[in-house]
Amino acid sequence: MRWQRDLASWAVMLPGLVLFAFFIWQPLLEAIRLSLYEANGTRVVRFVGLDNYRFVLTQPDFWPAVGNTFLYLLWSLIIGFLLPIVMAIFIHESTRGKSLYRTAVYLPNIVPSLATVFLWRYIFKSDAYGGMNMLLGMLGVAPQNWLNDAGRVIPLIVVTMTWKGAGATSLLYLAGLQGISPELYEAAVIDGANVRQRIFHVALPQLYNLARTLLILQVIAVFQILYEPLVMTNGGPNNASVSLMQLVFRYAFEKFDYSRASAISVLISIVLITLTLVYNKVNREQDM
Amino acid sequence: MKKLVAVLLVIMLSLTAFSALGETVLKLGIYPEDVDTAALEAHEFFLAEFAKALPDVTVEKAHYKYAVDTFVAMAEAGTVPTIFETWFTEPQKLIRGGFVADITDELNELGWTDKMNPTIRSLLSDANGRIYGVPRDGYALGLMINAEVFEDAGLVDADGLPLYPKTWDELAQTAVKIKEATGSAGLVLLAKDNAGGWHFSNIAWNFGATLESQDETGKWHANLNSPEAVAAMQYVKDLKWKYDVLTADPTSEDWGTGFTQLGTGAAAMYIAANDAVSQPTTNNGLPVDKLMMAGLPAGPGGQYSLFGGTPYMFAANATPEAIKAALKYLETMGKAPVLSDPAKAGLVADAKARQTNGTPVINEFPSWTDADLIAARQAVVAEYSNVDTRMFQNYFDTVAKEGNLRMEEPVNAQDLYAELTKVLQAVVTDQNADVQALMDTANTNLQQILDDTVNK
Repeated sequence: MRWQRDLASWAVMLPGLVLFAFFIWQPLLEAIRLSLYEANGTRVVRFVGLDNYRFVLTQPDFWPAVGNTFLYLLWSLIIGFLLPIVMAIFIHESTRGKSLYRTAVYLPNIVPSLATVFLWRYIFKSDAYGGMNMLLGMLGVAPQNWLNDAGRVIPLIVVTMTWKGAGATSLLYLAGLQGISPELYEAAVIDGANVRQRIFHVALPQLYNLARTLLILQVIAVFQILYEPLVMTNGGPNNASVSLMQLVFRYAFEKFDYSRASAISVLISIVLITLTLVYNKVNREQDM
Repeated sequence: MKKLVAVLLVIMLSLTAFSALGETVLKLGIYPEDVDTAALEAHEFFLAEFAKALPDVTVEKAHYKYAVDTFVAMAEAGTVPTIFETWFTEPQKLIRGGFVADITDELNELGWTDKMNPTIRSLLSDANGRIYGVPRDGYALGLMINAEVFEDAGLVDADGLPLYPKTWDELAQTAVKIKEATGSAGLVLLAKDNAGGWHFSNIAWNFGATLESQDETGKWHANLNSPEAVAAMQYVKDLKWKYDVLTADPTSEDWGTGFTQLGTGAAAMYIAANDAVSQPTTNNGLPVDKLMMAGLPAGPGGQYSLFGGTPYMFAANATPEAIKAALKYLETMGKAPVLSDPAKAGLVADAKARQTNGTPVINEFPSWTDADLIAARQAVVAEYSNVDTRMFQNYFDTVAKEGNLRMEEPVNAQDLYAELTKVLQAVVTDQNADVQALMDTANTNLQQILDDTVNK
């Protein structure tokens, strides 16, 4: 009987569905509802329509945070998007020590996130005892401003994120590379292709779909950047590194204003959903 | 065997349920952490005294260190302890959110309302004058000094006491001498979070600024770009670029790291309050007799000290009985305007705990105006004193001056501090920062926030 078979499948899915509903969907809907209400804590007081949205949009920190968030995105694509691909190809093409490299690139990823951030905060400290400045000091160079420089702070935070995340991503690409049929390589070699040609005409085209997916995942992840700037700079200097999620954090945990925190969260989701839809549409058109 | 266990369980459960009926449970969030042995000893004594007074009340030791990321969840779940200690920044926010209990009736019944320092009472009340907390103690900002660093720099008088600065100009000069002689920073300036703006608002007052004002229509105005406020910010900028006497990176300094810098001698001076004397000493290793406190230096606009109180507050769902029990416990601790025998013993226990911990035993700010209590506390402080009182003389003399104590700016104080902190970050990281332009922007921003909130 069909329904019996269906029932079994539903039963298998049930725990997952319940957990999802409880931990993901319900809070998601609750956040949307909360963003339309005035609230004490999470107890709604009255419906205010879009007032919370109007409020957060006119606050002085909002637009700097929007600008910064897109800057994080831009820098993360510049610094962090190609690097894992390069690393993966390098490991794939190396003839010795492959497993050593594989382990090595993944190591930063097992360092707890906060430890990573503290480590790099120390490296990029702007006084004479910061890691970079001590190295420069050995070369006789005066201490530089690192995280304290409004123009450098975002790329430096992105370097931190890349150091932590690139290894894991490169393993995904490596898996993609190893999934390429050896026959393609053999054919290329027989036709006299060198390493460069193998990379550009065999490996990269095969990675294209994977890269496309990872790109949008990276966009979504970086857009929600929170704890790196929160811990490294607290959004400073003078808002130079404040992110949208940090505003959410401030509304929720510094002001206990969950309605406005929800309003910004909903705005972030709208931006991300829009970006994803546009990206998918462009991709589909390219594929046609 | 199984059956027997089951029967026993049922009996035990029903007994618990029965005893829970009508019983007052006091969840004591102010009970110390397990590691703080000296404080624990004092609280065990308080508990014993408390049990004599209210034997029917069940006390749960529920140490809770207030934290903004746990509080709302606990409040919504109804698990906030009956009484907890919070920060001076929090009362109005907690009152507005309905997270804390109105204790006006309980205070009136005990006759404590009129004995509460009126300034502190207003900090703990809503617009209708209902009261939601009691002060643990009052505080006023002053200048904390690491006497060891001053000694190393040779900045001591004939009696060996540090030559503390009396004006902001002198502070800069003193700081330069310290940096030259010892290599330690002269002053810890905070620029990481809102505490930076909080300290700066006090500097600005002494330069003659008033940062917020209300016109006759009731509208609030931001006043961050007045010549006085700009001069104060310029002074801070000079501390960094002209005198170069700050710690290496003010944007990484917050309330806690400031005490570390001061306590370890990496810096000589720090703006801090009398209720935090355990921070440089007990927590960061400065010998108890090497901490000095002076009044905050005077500036061209006068001499003011920012004044407030650290409150105890009560869970919104606490019963009147539980609140009364909590207030009784405070009485036992000597934190109430009642000088009972347990309270006297409590004062002694507290002073002894401070002695053991190497925390200066100094006078508190009178947050209650009960003369007997104040006299008794002074007597205990005199008896158990572990410091040279001359080291704290200028601080207490300064704050006792008429008109020296000043409440923080009245509306959206945290937003004000946030705007000022951004400017601080800009001026200590950029030598070419345009102070006037930055203060203009901060002023526009704060005005926007005021217009969107209190002026609406």
